Amino acid sequence: MSATQQSTMDRVHKGLAARYRKEKRFRLFGLSAIIMSLAFLVLLLGSIGAKGYTAFLQTEILLDIHLDAETLDVENLATANYGSLVKRAMLDNFPQVKGRRDKRELSKLVSTGASFQLQKLVMSQPELIGTVLSLWVPADDEVDMFVKGHISRELPESSRRINDKEIEWIDQLQAAGRIKKSFNATFFEAGDSREPELAGIRGATMGSFYTLLVTLLLSFPIGVAAAVYLEEFAPQNRLTDLIEVNINNLAAIPSIVFGLLGLAVFLNFMSLARSSSLVGGLVLTLMTLPTIIIAARASLKSVPPSIREAALGVGASKMQTISHHILPLALPGMLTGAIIGMARALGETAPLLMIGMVAFIVDVPSGFSDPATVLPVQIYLWADSPERAFVERTSAAIMVLLFLLLTMNATAVILRNKFERRW
Amino acid sequence: MRKFGLTLAAASMLVAATTTAQAAGRDYISMVGSSTVYPFSTSVAEQFGKTTKFKTPKIESTGTGGGMKLFCAGAGTDTPDLTNASRRMKKSEMATCQKNGVKEVTEIKVGYDGIVVANSKKAPQFKVSRKDLYLALAKVVPSPDGAEKLVENPYKTWKDVNKSLPADKIEVLGPPPTSGTRDAFVELVMDEGCSEYGFVKAMKKVDKKKFKAACRTVREDGGYIEAGENDNLIVQKLEANPRSLGIFGFSFLDQNADKIHGSIIDGSEPTFENIADGSYVVSRPLFIYVKNAHVGVIPGIKEFLAEYTSDRAWGEEGYLAEKGLIPAPKAEQKKYADIAKNLTPVVLD
Amino acid sequence: MSPSMLVTVVLALSTLAFWQGKRRAFALSRQASTTRMHSRPGYYGMLTALWCAVPALVIVVAWQSASDPILTRIVMDGVREAKGALSPDQLNLMINDVRNLVSGSIYSQNVDPVLQLAAKRYQSMMHIGNMAMAVLALSTALGTAYYAYSRIKPTLRARNHVEMAVEILLTLCSTIAIFITVGIVLSVLFESIRFFQQVPLTDFLFGLKWSPQMAIRADQAGSSGSFGAIPVLTGTFLISGIAMAIAVPFGLMSAIYLSEYAGPKFRATVKPLLEILAGVPTVVYGFFAALVVAPLIRDIGLSFGLSVSSESALAAGLVMGIMIIPFVSSLSDDVINAVPQSLRDGSYGLGATKSETIKLVILPAALPGIVGSILLAVSRAIGETMIVVMAAGLAANMTVNPLQAVTTVTVQIVTLLVGDQEFDSPKTLAAFALGLLLFIVTLVLNVIALYVVRKYREEYE
Repeated sequence: MSATQQSTMDRVHKGLAARYRKEKRFRLFGLSAIIMSLAFLVLLLGSIGAKGYTAFLQTEILLDIHLDAETLDVENLATANYGSLVKRAMLDNFPQVKGRRDKRELSKLVSTGASFQLQKLVMSQPELIGTVLSLWVPADDEVDMFVKGHISRELPESSRRINDKEIEWIDQLQAAGRIKKSFNATFFEAGDSREPELAGIRGATMGSFYTLLVTLLLSFPIGVAAAVYLEEFAPQNRLTDLIEVNINNLAAIPSIVFGLLGLAVFLNFMSLARSSSLVGGLVLTLMTLPTIIIAARASLKSVPPSIREAALGVGASKMQTISHHILPLALPGMLTGAIIGMARALGETAPLLMIGMVAFIVDVPSGFSDPATVLPVQIYLWADSPERAFVERTSAAIMVLLFLLLTMNATAVILRNKFERRW
Repeated sequence: MRKFGLTLAAASMLVAATTTAQAAGRDYISMVGSSTVYPFSTSVAEQFGKTTKFKTPKIESTGTGGGMKLFCAGAGTDTPDLTNASRRMKKSEMATCQKNGVKEVTEIKVGYDGIVVANSKKAPQFKVSRKDLYLALAKVVPSPDGAEKLVENPYKTWKDVNKSLPADKIEVLGPPPTSGTRDAFVELVMDEGCSEYGFVKAMKKVDKKKFKAACRTVREDGGYIEAGENDNLIVQKLEANPRSLGIFGFSFLDQNADKIHGSIIDGSEPTFENIADGSYVVSRPLFIYVKNAHVGVIPGIKEFLAEYTSDRAWGEEGYLAEKGLIPAPKAEQKKYADIAKNLTPVVLD
Repeated sequence: MSPSMLVTVVLALSTLAFWQGKRRAFALSRQASTTRMHSRPGYYGMLTALWCAVPALVIVVAWQSASDPILTRIVMDGVREAKGALSPDQLNLMINDVRNLVSGSIYSQNVDPVLQLAAKRYQSMMHIGNMAMAVLALSTALGTAYYAYSRIKPTLRARNHVEMAVEILLTLCSTIAIFITVGIVLSVLFESIRFFQQVPLTDFLFGLKWSPQMAIRADQAGSSGSFGAIPVLTGTFLISGIAMAIAVPFGLMSAIYLSEYAGPKFRATVKPLLEILAGVPTVVYGFFAALVVAPLIRDIGLSFGLSVSSESALAAGLVMGIMIIPFVSSLSDDVINAVPQSLRDGSYGLGATKSETIKLVILPAALPGIVGSILLAVSRAIGETMIVVMAAGLAANMTVNPLQAVTTVTVQIVTLLVGDQEFDSPKTLAAFALGLLLFIVTLVLNVIALYVVRKYREEYE
């Protein structure tokens, strides 16, 4: 008997080393799966960051603009020819430049936004008229690309968008200290623009804000209400089953299908304003509602029955039990779910393509019915623009979007960690 | 109790939002249509919004056909006021317009756009004729042995098509038929290329349908890759794969001159000057269409057209040329500027 | 009084009604020493508030939605008298003209005096109408509030009434899900039926050639215009298959490591980090796939002498797989955690190592749940849009070679609907048919997955 026991133990011992190796290998597999996934995340973020960080700086050119009283007088401030003032100031920097063509090329080094900037300044401070104003104005996007090193000097002249003469002028300006790179505030303050140096994400951000506000205001109360009903009140019948199956299905329905629904119902049937954040918000509400309901139900479920029983035991009604005890305990979980749902809605593009939000909108929207676009759609639009300078702006917009998403997700995680209770 | 208040507040906000959304009339211009004209119209719109008291027009890129559909859906504020088109309005589209009460439509030719066949600068520039392109891209081609019949396209490499071309696999990234660019490309290149074969050309007189099927059907065996409407991605893919060619609008070549070069077609290189003077043959006009009934109702349409047709916009030195639009000849510009001013309705022939 | 103002006033009134009702209930409870109040005072307050706000708000909403058409009609009747007969579209334009005049935002110099008059009339009527609405709504609010107030008695079962109202609201909210589904089905079904009238269902379902880029006009020659969905489906499944080949091992191994090996601290940092992968917008993945991964794969393929398409299914599938990793991992994590500890303890007690326990005990026990979560992930991969729109091609090759370009259902929907097209051709309608197909496929997958997951869960609970 002892002999057989020995042999069993022997067999176990013999295999032990191999089994431990296997164990180690398996463990390593798991760890490497995680590490590779995270490595990819780093690669993704890194490549976007590397492409986009330059967009936060903008090349500017210093001009001494003579605001002469002939071109500008108090009456015509709104319509005066500011462009010519900017042009003259630029030409003053290069007295040696002669010829119409050269002059035109020279004046193109400055962005067309310079005259708008000047106009704004003069209209707010008319007392400046008659003085010489030293003003940093944005450079054209090509100059910007060149100064940032995205256009190489080594290339043959024909294959760059900026010619040798222009490079010479830029070098002269640089030598004179008239070119600097400063923080690109326009990127955060302006709406969309066809000129990369004037384009900003404020319009899209505000559009996202209004859209998400509509989504949140609708989907959170409705979602919580639906979850409470299903979890606490719903009788076991066909209708309840149907609703449950529906909700679980909707959560996994491709988002583009919601776009088809929005097109058919909100635009064609209810004829709400096309491209408005209201419609966008409604479509995203339909999309996030299932997510929120499921999260809310999970969090209601996690409240232990003892609490329910205790409340009912001291004579609370069902509704009182729910509203006084269960909801407050489940709320952090619900909020987490809502934030994650909102984050998903913030990054969503496909359904919005169907309801006219792929539009060129310069004015920053100031209400729910104004035409608006949202950040991911803006990214999609910029990615499609021919101007090279939009590449870095696309990446920068992605960075802003990711930052917003990370903030939201981090809030959700913090909420979860802070309020998560183990019963 | 608090929840009760919250629900009430949310409900009331919703009510307020929907009521305000419904009541107001539209006070900004709405424009839809071709993605090719989109960059130009948006430039004008932006300039217009910044220099006048009007709101900046809202412009959607829906494609020419999609734009026509929205445009012709009827008159009234829920329909767009203008549409961009990278080809002329079709008669069938005009009929839809008429049927839906869009009686008067003004057509303005805003300029020209060249269609280029380009490849990466890492590879040598292509020198092709339209016949070469036809042979490389058509689904059926005249039999290579000289017999007067059409066979499934047997050509695999460019060298098969024309001895002077490299021995690379034929791989062309181009737009799908939904795009106006494809329409123009087939008309300007494939038709011409296949008309060089006498017997195919003869077909045109006998059976127009058969002629079109022979000339305009693009191969589907992988030589021609339909690459969607994102031209920027096409450029990136060309750079990644120097042996492939891409078909797109001139403005993208113009913006990416450091990465790709346009093929010389029938002896002419796609440059701004060559397209403008007509020596580069693959170019097509671009249009915008105006719904006359909306002028005066939606504020700013006339002023917007005036900006579009002003010299500083579409002139040779204008900001649209900067964006890659090829200006129309002076006389034509004057004609269309007058049309824009008087809103002369178009009569399609 | 503007409608939003009115709503605010009504809400303020209802707050007031709440306090009044509560006070009265308090007062009653003090004096009526014989009978106890049925509910707590707050409920009487809430009931009063509900009676105050709900009818008034219903009136406001109904009035708002009805007043504009009625007013327009009256005003336009006047215009029609002055102008003679008008076509509906002309009328529509004039209405807009009037509206613009009313809101005071028109720059047109020569405004038709008739319309100006109409606008003035509209304005004054709207003014009167708003006043009337305000009077009606407020008097209703006061009236109903007083009615409820006067009914406050110890015997009034206020709590039950309030709870009933809330329950009705909750039920309504939960039925929205059904309406959404019905809406989706209806909005795709009609167009699909029109499509199947032009293209036979069998051609669509069993056709081996997808080339929808048919002539979009009579005078254009496109491709052959065949609508066989099989190549599109094989493309979709190829890309999804590649994605799952990445996502399942990585996701599953991550989940196993996180739930079985990792310490709580490691878990708390890594899990949210992994979830970031799921939170990155798909537009971003699309660009990454098209511009970084696809060229990389092509170059690697070239160095091995393989011809790789620049829109290879592999690139799109890889990136999509990475996107889905956290989806698989968090779902399987839940499932693995649901396996009772007793099973683990039993296995350890028999001397099994951790990995053996996982492979031989936990995974088999959790298998149905894992399969369910994988099916859910598959349905997600099938419906993913932006990555494939940007990184996969349009050519419907029927192939299982991952190095070739294939197309997917979602890509086809987007290109068919967001392009130059006419909306009456089978080509555009095909997008809706594909939408329906996508809906049905994901529906079936989801139903199976949910069934499996639920059935499995019940085994241990």
